Amino acid sequence: MRAKWVPFAFLAPALLGLFLFRAVPILLALGGGFTGTGLTGETSFQGFDNYTSLASDPEFWNSVRVTLVFNLIINPLQVVLAFLLALLMAKPGRGVGALRTAVLLPITVSIALTSVMWNLLLDPAVGPVNGLLRSFGLAAQPFFHSQGQALPSLIAICTWRGVGYWMFFMLGGLSAIPPEVNEAASIDGAGPWRRLWHITLPLMRRSFGFVLIADTAANFLLFAPVYIITAGGPDGSTSLLMFEAYRAAFTLLDNGRSLAISTVILLIVAAVATLELRFFRADDVA
Amino acid sequence: MRRGGVARYAAMIALAVLALLPLYWLLISSIRPAGDIFRYGGRFSWYTLIPGRLTFENYAELTRGDFPLAIGNSVLVSVVTVVAALLINSMAGFAFAVFRFPGRATLFILVLASFMMPFESIVMPLYTLIRFLGWTDSYQALILPEVASGLSIFLFSQFFAAVPRELYEAGRIDGASWWQVYWRLVLPLSGPTIATAALMQFIQQWDAFFWPIVAASSPDKVMIQVAIARHANMETANWGGLFASASVSVMVAALPFLALQRYYVRTMMHSGGK
Amino acid sequence: MQATRRTALAGLGLGLAGLPTRARSTTVLKATWEGWPDSQVKPLFDAFNKAYPDATASYELIPFSDLFQTLEVRLGARTPDPDLYSCDSPLSASYGVRNQAMILDDVLDRAQFSKAAVDAGSFRGKLYSAPFANSSQLLFYNRAFFKQAGLTPPTADVAQRWTWEQVAEVGRKMADPAQNRWGLIIEQAERPYQLLPLGQSLGGVALSADGLKSSGFIDSPAFVEGFTFLQRLYTDWKVSPPGVFDPNVTPDLFGSGRAAMFLGGTFNLGLFSNKYPELDWGVAPHPYFARGKPVTPTGSWHIGVNPRTRNKDAVTEFIRFMTGPELQVEWFKLRPYVPVRRDVWDKLPEVFGTPTWKIIRYEVENTAVARPSTPGWREYEDLLRQTLRDMQTGGDVKAMLTDTAAKIDRQLLKYNKV
Repeated sequence: MRAKWVPFAFLAPALLGLFLFRAVPILLALGGGFTGTGLTGETSFQGFDNYTSLASDPEFWNSVRVTLVFNLIINPLQVVLAFLLALLMAKPGRGVGALRTAVLLPITVSIALTSVMWNLLLDPAVGPVNGLLRSFGLAAQPFFHSQGQALPSLIAICTWRGVGYWMFFMLGGLSAIPPEVNEAASIDGAGPWRRLWHITLPLMRRSFGFVLIADTAANFLLFAPVYIITAGGPDGSTSLLMFEAYRAAFTLLDNGRSLAISTVILLIVAAVATLELRFFRADDVA
Repeated sequence: MRRGGVARYAAMIALAVLALLPLYWLLISSIRPAGDIFRYGGRFSWYTLIPGRLTFENYAELTRGDFPLAIGNSVLVSVVTVVAALLINSMAGFAFAVFRFPGRATLFILVLASFMMPFESIVMPLYTLIRFLGWTDSYQALILPEVASGLSIFLFSQFFAAVPRELYEAGRIDGASWWQVYWRLVLPLSGPTIATAALMQFIQQWDAFFWPIVAASSPDKVMIQVAIARHANMETANWGGLFASASVSVMVAALPFLALQRYYVRTMMHSGGK
Repeated sequence: MQATRRTALAGLGLGLAGLPTRARSTTVLKATWEGWPDSQVKPLFDAFNKAYPDATASYELIPFSDLFQTLEVRLGARTPDPDLYSCDSPLSASYGVRNQAMILDDVLDRAQFSKAAVDAGSFRGKLYSAPFANSSQLLFYNRAFFKQAGLTPPTADVAQRWTWEQVAEVGRKMADPAQNRWGLIIEQAERPYQLLPLGQSLGGVALSADGLKSSGFIDSPAFVEGFTFLQRLYTDWKVSPPGVFDPNVTPDLFGSGRAAMFLGGTFNLGLFSNKYPELDWGVAPHPYFARGKPVTPTGSWHIGVNPRTRNKDAVTEFIRFMTGPELQVEWFKLRPYVPVRRDVWDKLPEVFGTPTWKIIRYEVENTAVARPSTPGWREYEDLLRQTLRDMQTGGDVKAMLTDTAAKIDRQLLKYNKV
């Protein structure tokens, strides 16, 4: 009952934009992973050379490991915390709007500035956080300067910044649940835990799916804090893949290697996202 | 119930304080004399939290430079991006959710993949494209590449898919064109989604740093994150200026969030607990 | 941008208004410049535009944190613009070898500049960048702390400069780590720029002369000894605070009274005077190892020329003007970098005649050693920097340096055909 072109009319402007400003550059970048660049700029086809050299590079595998560990922790952590926060802040009330905004404010600080700021706050010598610890008689912590604490500190500052932001997406999902559904269930005698588990959560699957996928993409692509604070250390403990790609391009001046690593990131994120999509059946379209 | 309410407020306030404390530090560091910023860090004292000496020189300095221009540019770029983006991304989300057409699944996957590639890897081809179009140092270069957004399309498609099919069918039976179904019928229902997508893309443009440097570095197009970053140089760091400009940036960026709060509160008015 | 167009149009108008000899249309030069404050850059470009009405130079100011990456994107596009760019001196060889920097031997007379400045911009005898600014290092000390401790502070006399051994000994006496008080803080505690002189003071050479091999050089006994001494400052003697690398923070540590001594650049002269007026501080020359010779870091900003520029004449005028005596004096007044020209030292006696600047002049003319000239400076510096960082918490210095040298050499292989 509709003309064949109608869906494409709706899609056209956005797809044009994505094609021009994403698809074409991405394809070029993917192709670039198979090339090497000579000193004076000539690119030459090198097949899988970049990939084989990555496969035999222990630093690359260390990055893969660190990145996977980082993401396995931070993504579920942030999604769950965002949901809990949303539950806490869902009910309207005096000043709740201001409290929600307060919790969300950290996202307005750019990731670069967040890194600079926390680098100072957690500084072993002049940081107020250690100052606070010292005044309680506790030992000052090395935070970003210790192999054991660097990655957890990274997770902490990213969570500080992001959790209020993701909470908003969860709030949107919660607000779409008609209150009658919960009321009916509680009249039927269902306690708060049962209502949460059997009614709220299933109705939140799209929100969970969206937040998890968006957050996964953002965290796999993260590198600014590593670049600004830790330079991948100490001893490679914060060497995220994206940082390695950046380093390959701008320090080792090896474009081919950088693009190969970026391709690996894309493949991993796509694979993880597909799993997440399947799990939450959040795609509705596949 | 009263006790639950108090506990809830206590928890919310505690979390708000945790979120705000570093920003508070940023703010008071910006109104301290430069030498005091690090003086009280090593050991916690009242002075760490409450400045003994105040100075507003950092803010005065900001008004004398290009910072007001940077705010203006970032606001302009962000707002235009958001308006255009809301339109075209919601349209695309609508198409994915409502229609069955050949290539739908593949296209959707490609749309999702568009935000899984690191920006730094596509910056060179993008720069070449912008040069080719003659858009270097222009507002178009800052705005247009960010308008179409795979994440936004994904968000809208979820919302439109959640709307009951009967609503669409009812609209069509009543003789509405698809455009009218979209524009008049369902889009008005998507308040929280619009608010969320708007905030998402606003923050993306507000945080933009590397792309504005590469694509539009001329002094009249300066964007806010670049203006902030210029306070940190190799030989001297103007911490006071950095913190002041960062504080202003947070305050300005908070405004849209405060403004769009009501989209979440309104729909919640009916859930009363009890 | 409007002003530039207006100036260009005005220039064009003047040119066409019937002036004699040749009709030259206005050349527009584009410069990708370091993100110094506009108030410190505009006067220089205005001066050039005034002196050369048929050329207009415009600039974009890129924040330091992203200057190099932006240059890679711009120059990597292999287009005729930008015509000029700010070149961090040790990268001159890298730009030269990758055909991103024009050889300037026939544009500039090297004799005008100090040897260290010329070395900093050269590779295998060719000058790839024009010296624009230089740097040097001083040993700052907190006079009040020395008085309190009843110790004699280091002297400003270069003939009696302190040895590293003296610095360590005094540093140990004055440090109190539990109270966050330190004997010595080093400004750029992880950077080869700052730390290579330790090994060089003992006669070490940081890299082979052809710039392609580090094994046998950076892991030679001189550097092992020098860096082991450095390590002990952090580990055994607890003279310096480990893990403090940010050069935007370290000067403030000294300024707010956390250290007795501070090894840092000349910019801190202004910083301490303006930001910490209550601080009672003095200045002494850079230390050296007793059985070696004094060596100081040097090198700073140069100007690079895009070999694909279409405006060779205008660019030549620009380079010569910017590195000329009048402009270099103006530049110093705006932003007091250590001069690159030999004759500038005699031009501002009220500044350069002071004891502090006499020390600086002496170092630049006698003890300054430029960073090794190699197309692989980025790789060399990044790898060595990681190691210098990690060294602070312990480890076998010789093994770490040997390992790092191997990694560096692997990266330098790509320049073998150069």
